[in-house]
Amino acid sequence: MEKLKNILIKLGSVDRRVIFLLVGLSVLIPLIKPVNIPIRATKQSQDTYKAIEALEDGSNILLSFEYGPSTKPEIHPMAIALLRQLFKHNHKIYAMALWPDGLFMSTEAFDQVAEEEFHLTYGEDYVNLGFRPGNEAVVKGVATDIHSLFSVDTRGTKVKDIPMMNGINNIKDFDFVFSFSAGYPGSKEWVQFGCDPHDIPMSTGCTSIQVTEVIPYVESGQISGILAGMPGAAEYEKLVGKTGNATGMMAAQSFAHVVIVLFIIFGNITYYIQRKRKGKN
Amino acid sequence: MTFELFGVWLTVLLTLAIFSYLYNDNPFYKAAEHLFVGVSAGYWVATFFWTQVQPNLFGRLWPKLEDTDYGIFITAWYYIYDILGFITSGFGLIERHVFPVGGIAGHSDIRFIYIIPFILGIFMLLRLFPKIGWLARWAIAYTVGMAAGLRFYGFLNSDIIEQVKSATINFSGSGFEIFNQFIVIIGTLTGLLYFFFSKEHSGVVGKLSKVGIYFLMISFGASFGFAVMGRISLLIGRFNDLIAFSSSEYNYATLVLLVLMVVLLAIWAFTSKNDTNEEGVSIN
Repeated sequence: MEKLKNILIKLGSVDRRVIFLLVGLSVLIPLIKPVNIPIRATKQSQDTYKAIEALEDGSNILLSFEYGPSTKPEIHPMAIALLRQLFKHNHKIYAMALWPDGLFMSTEAFDQVAEEEFHLTYGEDYVNLGFRPGNEAVVKGVATDIHSLFSVDTRGTKVKDIPMMNGINNIKDFDFVFSFSAGYPGSKEWVQFGCDPHDIPMSTGCTSIQVTEVIPYVESGQISGILAGMPGAAEYEKLVGKTGNATGMMAAQSFAHVVIVLFIIFGNITYYIQRKRKGKN
Repeated sequence: MTFELFGVWLTVLLTLAIFSYLYNDNPFYKAAEHLFVGVSAGYWVATFFWTQVQPNLFGRLWPKLEDTDYGIFITAWYYIYDILGFITSGFGLIERHVFPVGGIAGHSDIRFIYIIPFILGIFMLLRLFPKIGWLARWAIAYTVGMAAGLRFYGFLNSDIIEQVKSATINFSGSGFEIFNQFIVIIGTLTGLLYFFFSKEHSGVVGKLSKVGIYFLMISFGASFGFAVMGRISLLIGRFNDLIAFSSSEYNYATLVLLVLMVVLLAIWAFTSKNDTNEEGVSIN
């Protein structure tokens, strides 16, 4: 028993670089040699899917891109899966960004889904209004008068000359809002300054870190469902019916979690044994 | 292709340089860190200027007017614009990008009210001059007041009223739902009690606040779990790129740079060991 305790103490006090290496390997190996793991959609992901499926075909949807390259692995697969679902139902997509990097992310997503997969027409099926700095003030601006905020789109076309912008003046002209959020400004600001005051249904796909911050709004019904981090993206890919990047990355995510959980257990056991020994001494 | 290849090699180099911090603080990491901070600051300034200041401030003060029949006042107003255009084009040496000839496209009429944010913006920059730096306080006061007013309604409505409403128990729901809502209400009340310091935490209050601590601990645990998940996702994203860039298409960028970096780090570690005295303090 004492021998086992000594081994556990040694395991618990291993050099941090060894832990980094093991976590790195647990991520790297499943990426090189892909493993299929079962994915089951949670209630929150299903709620988001159902909320969008419930919309009438050809509805006006506002998508807001609040993420950048650093959070792309988590959120970009959601954007791709969601765009596939929206374009399948001929919804009109209006995109904008509260983060400067969001503009590049939206452009990339539209290039892949709208242009390459669905061969849609810019200005008639979707429009990208681009980035505006100002955080919640921008959301407030969209809620009151979108034309005073966006005079030209990302292609330099005057917004008033874009066919699908006819009749779009403020947030009330949208049937649904979806925020791809990686922090501030993001989902919270859309709830507080955009959708709650005007009673517009919304949903969000956010980073794992943001989930605990946003989940109270989901529980209260202020947000219809939530796509939570990479698992949320993988679940949505499954619901939409086309596997993408997130599904492929879930094995790496799961293996890394197992390794981290094991280290947390070892660390706690070691701490417990050492504390007990100190008490005896 | 050459430019794309250069971009890929630079991406790999900077990713590995940041990862090298996991071994120890080193010159590769420091260089990448400084580059990141500098490029980010420059990128944000450029983006803000070209997406907000130029089109939405200057563009509203000096728009490209369709009606060319100006009065004397408007002509004088656009004379100031031309002076600014002349200065920002390096006194006519380069093309007028910030203040293009004839006005900025996008808006159709002049909005003189935007002179106020323009002046407040200039006030903000006056912090750089100690004698008149006090003027920056006006701009800061406006920003703080506006933000407080704007946020007040949002928080009151979405974070207080709606959240209080949702914390009530709906007795028409299923048994599990009622139980769940009951747990939520206990967690909310005991959690709030823990932060109530007007009464000593002893007796019943102490016991209830202890329950609140457990709820808070569960909440922190959930946050930690999600944080780990998020960080692992980012790691997966970087590894995906490194794997993709290790192919022959990119001249084995990842493998070549990894070997090179390991060798250079080993040399650096060896030489810096020699540069420290017996107490482990650097003698350089």
